[in-house]
Amino acid sequence: MKIQQVTENKRKYMDILLMADPQEDMIDRYLDQSDLFVLSEEGVIKTVCAVQVLKDRRCEIKNIATVKEEQGKGYGRNMIHYVCEHYSDRCDMMYVGTGNSRKTLGFYEKCGFVNSHILAGFFTDNYAEPIYEDGVQLVDMVYLKKKLESEIDVKKVVDLALEAGRILLKNGGEIFRVEETITRICNRFHVDQVDIFLLSHGIFVSVQSEGEEIYTRVKHVPLSGAHLGIVTEVNALSREISAGNVSIDAAMERLKEIDRHPPKKGYFQILGAGVGSGCFGYLLGATLKESIAAFCIGCLLQFWVLAAKRHKMSKIIINIAGGVLITTLAIAVKHLSIAGYLRMEGMIIGSIMPLVPGMAFVNAIREIADSDFLSGTVRMIDALLVFVYIAIGVGVTLSIYNNLFGGLSI
Amino acid sequence: MIREVVANVLCPFIGTIGYSVLYNVPRRYYLSCGMTGMAGWLVYLFVAKYTVLSAAVASFFGTVVVVLISRMLTVRLKCPVTVFLISGIFPLVPGAGVYYTAYYLVMEQLNLAAQRGLEAIKVAFGIVLGIAVVLAVPREFFQPGYWRQRKYGIRRK
Repeated sequence: MKIQQVTENKRKYMDILLMADPQEDMIDRYLDQSDLFVLSEEGVIKTVCAVQVLKDRRCEIKNIATVKEEQGKGYGRNMIHYVCEHYSDRCDMMYVGTGNSRKTLGFYEKCGFVNSHILAGFFTDNYAEPIYEDGVQLVDMVYLKKKLESEIDVKKVVDLALEAGRILLKNGGEIFRVEETITRICNRFHVDQVDIFLLSHGIFVSVQSEGEEIYTRVKHVPLSGAHLGIVTEVNALSREISAGNVSIDAAMERLKEIDRHPPKKGYFQILGAGVGSGCFGYLLGATLKESIAAFCIGCLLQFWVLAAKRHKMSKIIINIAGGVLITTLAIAVKHLSIAGYLRMEGMIIGSIMPLVPGMAFVNAIREIADSDFLSGTVRMIDALLVFVYIAIGVGVTLSIYNNLFGGLSI
Repeated sequence: MIREVVANVLCPFIGTIGYSVLYNVPRRYYLSCGMTGMAGWLVYLFVAKYTVLSAAVASFFGTVVVVLISRMLTVRLKCPVTVFLISGIFPLVPGAGVYYTAYYLVMEQLNLAAQRGLEAIKVAFGIVLGIAVVLAVPREFFQPGYWRQRKYGIRRK
């Protein structure tokens, strides 16, 4: 037994649809806006069903019909079970309208539907010929409804939301974005009571589902490098999730895939740092030759940063050694220069830029502007310390150069 | 003249892109990032050079422009504001101040060191204020539909 959604050439099934709704122009009214499902067994069509999605997370079964010889074999009930499952993530309530006959009402009641409302005189007003079922003329349309219980596991939802939050936070997302994403994902899967407590390096999520126990997860997210590409991707995914286009398992798969995105290739990063250094050197008043030197120094610096990060060295070492490296190289270039006199300032100012913690600084400000002082302070201290480390690296080297070799006063 | 144009238009543009590589910004946003950085720097330069205002105020205005452009791009390109904000603000971050402060400290010219250090802090505060001010503007203002509706006098629900 197989159920498939049909998107093309829906009128092909008109014969079967007409069994449930005898007037063709009435079917045409909804067929185009409806999703059509076909149940078949060994290639033979048994049941078709048209469902229309309405506003406010409701949907309606407009038509369901089983081939005459196959009635009473449970195909119809299978179909209803399937569509209820299918729409449970998009809709909260399924409606069906039918004639007031004992047989059909009994069928829907067995499927879990209860009475909703009545459209008086629907069949006599809209249909040219009177319709009889079991010898009784149909007059009013009786609407039944069924609450769609989503089969979604609360724990799975929270795990998904937490994973999305972790990836965002790790790669430089802002606190409010992480919060928004977690709430969005939870709400999308009907987990409404969510409490989130976020730090710059930790996520606490606690949810309570209706009548069930409370589920809480804590995740430690160490401060690490930025990958704005991943932030962009997760953001796009969370938009898609809240639009209802992605199921929970598919979302988890995609998150794992996004998390595996490698950073830009090493040589590309080195080149980027070099180009940035050279350009900013020139911008801040270095000559062309000094800028070219700054380009080389910036490349070497990024080479060091990448190597140090691969060996998981601490920020203190990376930045102080980075400052030392820049200054030493600048001094070396100044002395070994074959290109005439080059000032150190231009080279150092340019090549210092890749070390400058622009991201931590900007994020810290934004956190504080959002009145999240805890995360803001942590990030601000992170940024300020990096500034201090760089200054220490540069200062120590300069003072050794000055005191041992008298270099600066020459 | 040519040097000035190259220095102030091309350099912040290419330099910003260079640094956005380090933050792994997706390739399709390089152009927008570069433009943001360039616009911020040009405004900063204009205010610092052609008015009596100080570098801190100039960096305030530069930042305001950067954040404004970032927020417009965010709505247009449907991607997080961080991407443009962090890359675009780079030309304004007082990296040079760090160097000069360290330099004068080593030279034991404490007056100059304090002056440079304070100036770097002032510039940093200019940036802080710039970001805080523009981020306080409600999100709807950046959606094109908002102003179009206002223009024709249609009231929003």
